[in-house]
Amino acid sequence: MSRLFRNREALVFLLLIGMIAIVGAINPNFLRPRSLKNVVNNSLILILVSIGEMFVILTRGIDVSVGAIMGLSAVVLGLSLNAGVALPLAILLTLVVGLLAGTVNSIGVTFFRVPPIIMTLGTLGIYRGSMLILTGGSWIETIPQNIKDLGKWKVGGVHGFIWITLIILVITTVIMKRFKPARYFYLVGDNEDGALFLGIPIRRTIFAAYSLAGLFAGMAAVVFVAQVGFVPMQTGNGQELRAIAALVLGGVNLAGGVGTPISAFIGALFLSAVDSMLIFLKVPGYWNNAVGGAILLVAIYIDYRLRQAVALRQLLVRQRARAEYARKVRSQSDNSQGAEET
Amino acid sequence: MNVLRKLKSWEFSLGILLIVEILVLGAINPTFLNVENLLYSTSDFMHILFAALPLTLVIITGGIDISGVSVMGLTSIVLGLGWVAGLNIWVAVIVALTVGLLAGLLNGLFTAHTDIHPLVITLGTLFMYAGIAAGLPGLLDALGFEAYGVAGFSAYMYEGITGLPHSFNNLAHGGVGWVPYPLIFVLAFALLLSLLLHKTRFGRYLYLIGVNQPAAQYTGIPVKKSLVVAYTLSSFGAAIAGVMLTSYFTSARSDLGSEALLPIITAVVLGGTDIMGGSGTILGTLLAGIFIGYLRQGLLALGVTSDVVPVVVGLLLVVVVAAKILVTRFNEYRINRQALKMQRQAESLPRH
Repeated sequence: MSRLFRNREALVFLLLIGMIAIVGAINPNFLRPRSLKNVVNNSLILILVSIGEMFVILTRGIDVSVGAIMGLSAVVLGLSLNAGVALPLAILLTLVVGLLAGTVNSIGVTFFRVPPIIMTLGTLGIYRGSMLILTGGSWIETIPQNIKDLGKWKVGGVHGFIWITLIILVITTVIMKRFKPARYFYLVGDNEDGALFLGIPIRRTIFAAYSLAGLFAGMAAVVFVAQVGFVPMQTGNGQELRAIAALVLGGVNLAGGVGTPISAFIGALFLSAVDSMLIFLKVPGYWNNAVGGAILLVAIYIDYRLRQAVALRQLLVRQRARAEYARKVRSQSDNSQGAEET
Repeated sequence: MNVLRKLKSWEFSLGILLIVEILVLGAINPTFLNVENLLYSTSDFMHILFAALPLTLVIITGGIDISGVSVMGLTSIVLGLGWVAGLNIWVAVIVALTVGLLAGLLNGLFTAHTDIHPLVITLGTLFMYAGIAAGLPGLLDALGFEAYGVAGFSAYMYEGITGLPHSFNNLAHGGVGWVPYPLIFVLAFALLLSLLLHKTRFGRYLYLIGVNQPAAQYTGIPVKKSLVVAYTLSSFGAAIAGVMLTSYFTSARSDLGSEALLPIITAVVLGGTDIMGGSGTILGTLLAGIFIGYLRQGLLALGVTSDVVPVVVGLLLVVVVAAKILVTRFNEYRINRQALKMQRQAESLPRH
């Protein structure tokens, strides 16, 4: 039981299943495979942004510009498709724009040593402004059919993007577990001084983290344009905050060094599933933020209390062991004293 | 020596920058230099100052509060609903400010009594307050209260709760002679906060908490109480900003101020407050906030579209912080070089 409590992903996943069951009991339509598939499909954007943000948070940084990067990339995709660029080339361009936008953050954070929150808050304004300048402030409404078809493309009855996201999730999870340089993210975030003494390339690792966050935001932009079919100016607005909330829910520690792509996945799935559930419970859409915020606060509070309880128990066990040891030593020395006397 | 140090201070450079900015903008567009115009245009960005000034206190403790932008909308909507419900407008203002205080109290208690990073806590409350502000009118309407004001639901969706009394709208548009009320309020607020931060023991506590929280704890400083007060003040500032915005736009909306996060934090950081905590002044934030506000005004006056403004503010934030960090590192390097040189000289001297 206590192992379960310490495994945050499992806890949140169980909570999610429980909530799905409750909503299903109230409105059975929710349990249809079609609506469950839609829940997953709607969460893909947040999942991708969250996995990207995870790299940054693992290194003990923060990136509040990922939403703006997603918006900028979406605008680039829309504009390039409208300019007649071939679909694969346009998608590649979008990903490159995301990567480059992330790399600007990397340069600021690693070479100029600007604190991450300042750097990314600055680029948040820069990217959001450039997005408006590129389009002249109007929505991109007419987008070629080929990308919208991509959003409807299905394999085995499930949207192609769901498969792609799952494959990306599996690949990143395996890499983060088995690939040595990927472990540097954890090391740098957990103990930067220690990483320095071990000869870990700290700055290169942090550089990679912000660039990856940009790249994943670019991927999310592709999914967004394909699913939505137009690019409003609010694209990606507040997505960075939702991603951070999803990560914290999934058990990624903002103090760095703790978390996996699975945590990002579960947290993001949970947060978007709540939005879908509210629709099925016929709660008006403007309550989404209030419920999401309240869930985040309750989750981090419960997590805090659990950590306190675990820490207290560890302390107790340690003290008991220490008392036991002291008693043993005393009785041994008593015995040896007795041996000397005889 | 003392005068020289004052001249080298960040606040002094900011003051010079502000004057240069006004002169440059005035040289390009002479109507900008009209004093009355200059004073009254401050009303456009007073909400940034009201939120940024007390946020300085929070950032000095090494924390952060991003929920202020939602508190503005929440205050505004509570004010509007209170008035629609038949309260006297000034009573509604007090109720709204109280809600702002309570919102800050929640942030403060949560931050002080857990080890969770304040960014996460205020992120949660940012969502929660924004959601409550958005949902409250609908909830009251569903419960059977006519919560949308005289014009009905569709008008509310479009322009918020309108028809607030003239005496209230005069709050942001009126003034004493050439000086508008909001500017007077903001200067008074800055003066009070400045006294609190720089002249009281509580202010010194905040700096110590920012420099080294465990040390502050062991010294016996009331860390938790100080943090709660700092976060409550921060939200209270945002609540005043919400009231001012409501008066300025003559309508109560739930999304007022939601775009202000970047300029607010830029004002604090540009004002010389270290985002890691431990240093900063109210005067710096005040000057930086006015600088950013006039920059926006000036850019718009030059015919630049408002889309470019966040790009310029963002660049300003990044460039200023990067430059400050580079200068600090260069100074350290120079001091180290000098020390090394002196040591070598000392070693090369013949020993007696």
